[in-house]
Amino acid sequence: MRRVIVLALLYLLMQAVLPLGEGTAPALVLMAFGFLILGAYSVGELATTIKLPKIVGYLAAGLAVGPAALNFVSVPVMNQLAPVSELAIALIAFLAGAELQLDEVRKRGVVLVKMMTAELSVAFVGIATVIALLHRFLPFLNGAPWTEILGFSILFASVAVVHSPAVTMALLSESGAKGVVARTTLGVVLLADVAVVLSFSGALALARVLAPPSGGAAAGNSFLVLWEIGGAVLVGAVLGAVVALYLRFIRRELFIFAILVAFFGAQLAALIHVETLLTLLVAGFVAENWGGGEGEHLRHAMERAGAPIFVVFFALAGAKIKPEAVLQLWPLVIPIVLVRAAGIWAGTQLGAWWAKAEPEVARYTWMGLISQAGVAIGLSSVVAAAYPARGEEMRSLFLATIAINESIGPILFRISLLRSKEATPESFRGGGGH
Amino acid sequence: MSASLVLIIIVATAYLATHLLYEWLAKRLLIVSGAEYLVLGILLGPQVSGVIPQEAAESFGPIIVLGIGWIGLTVGMQFYLPRLVRITGLTFRLAVIESLLTLGVVTAALWWAFPALGLTSEFWAIVPALALGAIAVASTPAGLDIALRDRQRRVPVVNQLETSLGVNAFVAVLTVGILFAWVHRAPVNATRPPTPTEWAVITAGIGVLGGTLFHLFLGEERNVDRLVVSLAGAVILASGTAAYLNVSPVFATLVVGIVLVNTSRGRAELRTVLASAERPFYYVLLLLAGLSWRPTTSWTVIAVLSLYLATRTATKVWGTRLSTRWNAATPQLGAEWGKALIGQGRLTVALALDYARRPELPIGDVVFTAALASVLLTEFAAARFVRAALAPIVEPLRDLAHRLPWVDEEATPSAAVASNGDTGEFVAPVIDEGSTTLQIETGPSREERR
Repeated sequence: MRRVIVLALLYLLMQAVLPLGEGTAPALVLMAFGFLILGAYSVGELATTIKLPKIVGYLAAGLAVGPAALNFVSVPVMNQLAPVSELAIALIAFLAGAELQLDEVRKRGVVLVKMMTAELSVAFVGIATVIALLHRFLPFLNGAPWTEILGFSILFASVAVVHSPAVTMALLSESGAKGVVARTTLGVVLLADVAVVLSFSGALALARVLAPPSGGAAAGNSFLVLWEIGGAVLVGAVLGAVVALYLRFIRRELFIFAILVAFFGAQLAALIHVETLLTLLVAGFVAENWGGGEGEHLRHAMERAGAPIFVVFFALAGAKIKPEAVLQLWPLVIPIVLVRAAGIWAGTQLGAWWAKAEPEVARYTWMGLISQAGVAIGLSSVVAAAYPARGEEMRSLFLATIAINESIGPILFRISLLRSKEATPESFRGGGGH
Repeated sequence: MSASLVLIIIVATAYLATHLLYEWLAKRLLIVSGAEYLVLGILLGPQVSGVIPQEAAESFGPIIVLGIGWIGLTVGMQFYLPRLVRITGLTFRLAVIESLLTLGVVTAALWWAFPALGLTSEFWAIVPALALGAIAVASTPAGLDIALRDRQRRVPVVNQLETSLGVNAFVAVLTVGILFAWVHRAPVNATRPPTPTEWAVITAGIGVLGGTLFHLFLGEERNVDRLVVSLAGAVILASGTAAYLNVSPVFATLVVGIVLVNTSRGRAELRTVLASAERPFYYVLLLLAGLSWRPTTSWTVIAVLSLYLATRTATKVWGTRLSTRWNAATPQLGAEWGKALIGQGRLTVALALDYARRPELPIGDVVFTAALASVLLTEFAAARFVRAALAPIVEPLRDLAHRLPWVDEEATPSAAVASNGDTGEFVAPVIDEGSTTLQIETGPSREERR
C-alpha cells in the first residue's frame, strides 16, 4: 500500500509540476532522475509481491514513464541521462570483477571456459542458421546474394549471443545467491563478454568482406581491436592496483571513492578507446584480490552508492523499449528468441558434459544466460553505424529481440536460483539495493 | 582530455587532499580549505585556460542544482526541534537581531548604491540588494569546527555562535526563497499564474513532499542501503522540481532537511551519509562556480564589493557588540563574538550560484562576484576569526590552566567559573575530586577554590 501511495504522489507531482515549469533541460533531467529513483524502486518492490525480480519492475516502470506511454521521461531527457547509464555499467563491471576470487578462477577457470565456449558456439550457429533461413522475410536481406546473407547472418549472430552482466549482477545482488549455479552463470557471462567483443570485431570484418558497406564507417583496424582488449586489461590492472593501494593504506570515505573510481575508469576507457566493461572488470578483480582483504568494504560501498544509479539504469533501459517495434516484428522475433534460448540450453548441456560440471549447473545455468541489455544495444549501434541503411533495419530487429530477452531473462534467472535452492523467495524480497 | 575527466581528477585530488593534507594543514595553520578550488575553477574555465570550455561548463548544470540542494539539506538538518527548545531565549534573540541587522543594513546600503552606480534602475535595485543582503547573513561553520577541533569545552559563546550560524543560514535561505517566489516569472503554459505567496508555498511544499516521500519510501526499515536510495531520491527530486519550477532549490531542500531531522529515527545514519558527501560536493560546487565566474576589475563592481564587505563586516562586528550590550550579555559572551561570523563559505556559494543561474534577475554577475570574492577573502581565515572572537573568553581560562595544576582545559568534568565581569561566566573543565566550581573574584592573584 505504501508503495502505491508513493507512486500516486509521484504521478500527481509530475502532473502538477510539468505544466508550471519552464522546461530548462538541466532541471528537468534532475527531476526525472529523482522521479525514476523513487518511482522505479517502488515498482520494483511491487514486482516482488507478485514473485517477479525487482529488475522487471524497474524495466516496467521505465516503460510506463518513457516515451512509449506517459512520456514523463522523454527522449531528450533520456539522452541527457546517458552518463548515469555509463556510470552504472562501470559500477556493475567493477563489482562483477570484484566478485571473482583468484582461488575460484584457478579452481573453476577451465570449467567456465569450456562452458562459455560451448554455449557461445552452439547459440551462434543456431542464430546464424535461423537468420539465413528467414532471409526472405527480413527486410535487410530480402533479395540479397548468398554472400551477403552469410555475412549478415554471422554479424547478427555475433551480437545476438551477447548476455547481460548488468542483469546477472543485479539479480545476484538482489538474491545474495553465492552457490555453484550463481557463480558459474556469472563467470560464463563475464568471460563471454570478453569473447564477444573479440568475435564481434572478427564478424564485422568478415561481413565487410562479404557485404561491403555503402557509405558506412571505415573498416576496423585489427590493431585497434587488439588495443581495445589488451589496453583494457592493462589500464584495468593499473587502475585496480591504484585502488588496491588506496584500500591498503587509506581506506577512508569509500562511499564517494567508489563512485569516483567507476566514473574515472569509464571516462578513461572512453578517452583512450579501450573496452570499458573489461577495464572495470579487471580493475575490480585486481582491487579485490590484491587489496589486502579490504575489497569487500569497497564492494559494499559501491553497492550502496550505486543502488540509486542501478535503479535508474534499468528504468532507462525499460524506457528505451519500443513496444510498437516488437509488435511489428513479432513473427520474426519469436523464432529468433526461441532459437537463441534453445542454443543457450544445448550449449550449456554440451559445456557441462565437456567440463564435467555439477548436475545442477547443467540443469539451471542456461536460464541465467537469456538476459540481454546494454552491451547488445551498444553493439547493434555499431552495426547500424557500419551499415547506415540495412544496419538500421537490423537494429530494429535487435531491439525487439533484446526487449523480449530483457523482460523474460530476469524472470528465468530468478527461477533458476530458486530451483537450484541457491536463493529463496524471502531473499529476493529482502534483497539489496537493486 | 574530456571536461568530465578533468572534473573527476580534480574532485579525486580534492578528496584525497581533504583527508591527507587538509586535516594536517587545518590543525596546524588554522586555515579553512575551499577557496583554492574556486581559483582552480577560474584557471581551468573558459575565462582563463579554456581546459573546460563554456559548453562543457554549462553541461554541469544538473550537478550545480544538486550541489545547491545538498547544501540546503545539510543546513536544514541542523534544526532538530528538541535541541532548539533547550536553547535560551537570549541566545535566540541575539542571533535573530544579528541576522536581521545584517540583512537590513547590507540590503539598504546596496539598494542605495546600485542605482547610484548606474547598475540597475531604482525599481529593480531591491532584487539584487536583497539577494546580497541575504547572502551577507550567511556565515561558514567551518571556522568554528576547525577552531574548536579536539576541544570539548562548552562555553556559552560557543553555543551562541552555533545558534547564530543556524539562524543566519535559516534567514539567508528563507529570504532568498521568498525573493525568488516574489520575482517569479509567470509560466507560459499555466492557465492562471500562481501569485508570489503561492510560489513560496509551492517551494515549501516541494520540501514537505520530498520529506514525506522519503518516509513513505523508507517505511519502518533501518537498512542503510535503503536509506541512501530514499535520501538520494528525495533530495534529487526536490532539487530538480524546485529548479524546474524556477523557485529556490536550497529553500526546498532546507525544508526537506527540517522534515527529515525531526521525523526520522535514523538521524545519526542520515548525518553520516550526508557528511560523507558534503565536502566533495562543496569542492565540486566551488569548482563549477569558478568555471562560470567572470572576475572583473570594473570600478563599479569593486565599489559594490567594497560596500558589501564593509557593511557586512561592520554589522557582524559592531552590530553584535551593541546588541550584546543592550541585552546585558557581555559578561557571558564577551564583546567580540561577531568576529567569528565574518567567514563565508558553502552556503554563500550555493545562494550566489542559485541567483546567478537565473538570467531573468538583474546584475547576476555583480551579485555572484561580490559573494565569491567575499568567500575568497574570508573563508581561508574563518578559523582565525573564530579564535579572535573567543580569545577574550577562553584565554583567561587557559592562563588559569597553566597556573593551577588542578585546572585542565581538556578535561571533561565541568565547573562554572565566575569572574570579575570582564571574562564573564563560563564553563571550564576541572580535574579535582569533589571540586566542581571555581570562583575568580577580582583578579588572577585572588583565585580561590570553593
